Amino acid sequence: MNRLEQLKSSGKKAFVAYIMAGDGGLDRLKEQVQYLQKAGVTAIEIGIPFSDPVADGPTIEAAGNRALKQGVTLQKVLEEMKSWTFQVEIPLLVMTYLNPVLKFGVERFAAECGKAGVSGVIIPDLPHEHKQLVQPYVDKENIKLIQLVTLTTTDTRLEDILREAEGFVYAVTVKGITGSRDEMSEDVKAFMRKVRGKSPVPVYAGFGISKSSHVDMLRDDVDGFIVGSAIVEAFNADKIQEIEPLIHAVTNAHSV
Amino acid sequence: MTKVKICGLKEEQHVKAAKRADAIGFVFAPSKRQVTIAQAAELAKHIPVDTDKIGVFVNASLQEIEDTVAGVPLTMVQLHGDEPDDLIQAIRVPVIQAFSIRTKEDVEKLKNSKADYVLVDAPGTDYRGGSGNVFDWSLLHGADIDLSRLIVAGGLNPGNVHAAIGQTTPYMVDVSSGVETDGRKDSAKIQEFIKQVKDDSMEQTIEKTGFFGKYGGQFVPETLMKAVKELEDAYEEVKEDPEFQREYHHYLSEYVGREQPLTFAQRMTEALGGPKIYLKREDLNHTGAHKVNNAIGQALLAMRMGKRKIVAETGAGQHGVATATICALFDLDCVIFMGEEDIKRQQLNVFRMKLLGARVESVTKGSATLKDAVNEALRYWVANVEDTHYLIGSALGPHPFPTMVRDFQSVIGQETKRQILDKEGRLPDAILACVGGGSNAIGMFYPFIQDKEVQLIGVEAAGEGVDTDKHAATLTKGTEGVLHGALMKLLQDDSGQVQEAHSISAGLDYPGIGPEHAHLADIGRVEYRSITDKEALAAVISMSRLEGIIPALESAHAIAEAEKQAKMMTADQILVICVSGRGDKDMATYAEKLEGLS
Repeated sequence: MNRLEQLKSSGKKAFVAYIMAGDGGLDRLKEQVQYLQKAGVTAIEIGIPFSDPVADGPTIEAAGNRALKQGVTLQKVLEEMKSWTFQVEIPLLVMTYLNPVLKFGVERFAAECGKAGVSGVIIPDLPHEHKQLVQPYVDKENIKLIQLVTLTTTDTRLEDILREAEGFVYAVTVKGITGSRDEMSEDVKAFMRKVRGKSPVPVYAGFGISKSSHVDMLRDDVDGFIVGSAIVEAFNADKIQEIEPLIHAVTNAHSV
Repeated sequence: MTKVKICGLKEEQHVKAAKRADAIGFVFAPSKRQVTIAQAAELAKHIPVDTDKIGVFVNASLQEIEDTVAGVPLTMVQLHGDEPDDLIQAIRVPVIQAFSIRTKEDVEKLKNSKADYVLVDAPGTDYRGGSGNVFDWSLLHGADIDLSRLIVAGGLNPGNVHAAIGQTTPYMVDVSSGVETDGRKDSAKIQEFIKQVKDDSMEQTIEKTGFFGKYGGQFVPETLMKAVKELEDAYEEVKEDPEFQREYHHYLSEYVGREQPLTFAQRMTEALGGPKIYLKREDLNHTGAHKVNNAIGQALLAMRMGKRKIVAETGAGQHGVATATICALFDLDCVIFMGEEDIKRQQLNVFRMKLLGARVESVTKGSATLKDAVNEALRYWVANVEDTHYLIGSALGPHPFPTMVRDFQSVIGQETKRQILDKEGRLPDAILACVGGGSNAIGMFYPFIQDKEVQLIGVEAAGEGVDTDKHAATLTKGTEGVLHGALMKLLQDDSGQVQEAHSISAGLDYPGIGPEHAHLADIGRVEYRSITDKEALAAVISMSRLEGIIPALESAHAIAEAEKQAKMMTADQILVICVSGRGDKDMATYAEKLEGLS
């Protein structure tokens, strides 16, 4: 069984942590994954740096640029993951823009992800329309192609996307790019409820989640949270322990 | 949502007719529909990148299959012979295994297949690989087959495919002879078949559009999809609306000052001693370049959509100035993103934009040029998508932008065609235009695409030379990739990171090329050459002194190439150069680079 399905059947609220692979050096990735796993996150999204990350805000873009300066590539990240001998118990996802995948070769990408133990891939600039470009190859490896839905996704479109959703649905909480925010608008709650009502797979909220107040606000309407910029920032500042309360706010509290 | 595969295509027109299909099949096994690898590779140039290209084989070796997969290239393989399981598992791309179904026992065999997908067909008659006979669909009932890997073929046609989907709800339906007339594919039947499948599954909402051959598409974050779709619908509407067209042309004539002359360049003609040379004078437009043609069109469209805020990117600043100008004219809120490097190179245009009331945002990221300005404009659009229109300045970006920008710029080629017929009574032999993203070139070329006797030449920036790492010659040196919403040709490294382009001209300093140009290059309709910074500067001097026209640095690339092209032509021939803009904005560069000129 794909680890994402195991996670779903456990019924826990998920905490998906995003890290930029190679920010601070590719040799740090392993310890970061081990740390987060131990800290209790339920899945880890490993970001591949890209020169033109248009869906990302300044924090992740800067982290990506630092990683690119270190010469990090998709291939090196997958090689690194394949070399791991420690026990990975939680689903690992790869988040990358489409171009590095095309350059690497879609079929090769899926096969190497398979060997690296990847459970799902997220490609933010590959909309539902074009997912056939990648879908048959990841299917072959039993890897889930995670779809995003946003506040601007129309109802008909939402149904089309959810009908074919697998793994989990990445529900974007903001009209905008990734990055920490203070406020979370009220219509987000209604949106999450709508998506969750129609989705055949768990719904995780992402983009802009950085505080336990965000978690409290949406807790009853989603199956999990994806936290990116706050974690990237914390690793960069060597203050990752400050993220632990947020992880516990998600995973400890009352179950579903 | 059942997918549709059209199989056994041999002709370009039929591949084009099958544009909305999810998969195209090429038969490599002996058959009247057999194609060679080279033929299939040629046909594949007309297939959108996200459409599966499936090769049909009967008992071929792994080597033959792998060579064909790489040569076309194919995205899937379909096997109709007695291929062993280890061959099926050795193939790197997803595999479809075909089964002829006569009895319930045949249905059982499907279940044990090692392939990713199974195709059910009626038993073959002459050749293996499908006979077109209908098999009894009811045989599949109660057989416990994984429908997500089931492909149904055999005797399907536009009249019965609806029923077939109803009975079997497969992953995909596959048709070949059912869309033929007298043994040859029939475009109308292909389209009707696809329509039957798509309408059946309510798939109109998510339809494949906006491809030029394999290039183009809508590769943008989900947040933008609604805006992109709305724009697509709105543009479809105004394209046919005489009132919109009247308004657009009203502003072109009353505000921009069109139509622009097609000037006979007598002294240049004499100096080069070759063909008669004409200059299309986009430099005479209000604001100094062709960019305003598109800015007016898109601003009118934005207002129709109820959007009164505009965001745009600019490289040389000409598109930024045109946009700021039109926003002043129509009282629209205007934000322009411009790379820090370009701001330094184009101080005058920055001040012009500010004077016109626009907010100019400096982009310091990446190479701090046009590419990075597009990134920031896209991010701004993602965050403000409900009330803001992204007025993209070149024939780039997600569909419908490349088509829309081309259409608004086509006024250049339309006028040129009319004018040359007036003056010479015939079409020109060659037309040259410079290419960065490619908007003036596509606007000039598009009305001539069908006129095969007219040679079309796009001129890229070779910077310090195409063999150095400082150039912007995307079609000469680039490879396929996705940037800013479309599959196109890109300057990129081995790991898919987009590289910095270089050109003395800020307007050509872009590492990609519009998707339609990429396609026109692929099919050989337009030839793309390149000119270095040095050659462009020399052309600035010659054009200024021969014709009294100081061209923009971008346009100087087309002029420099025209000087070379003219040497290969004769006195009874005609050559047209698109002078996309005037050189006022480049005076500081000219003064610096041409210091000591006497």
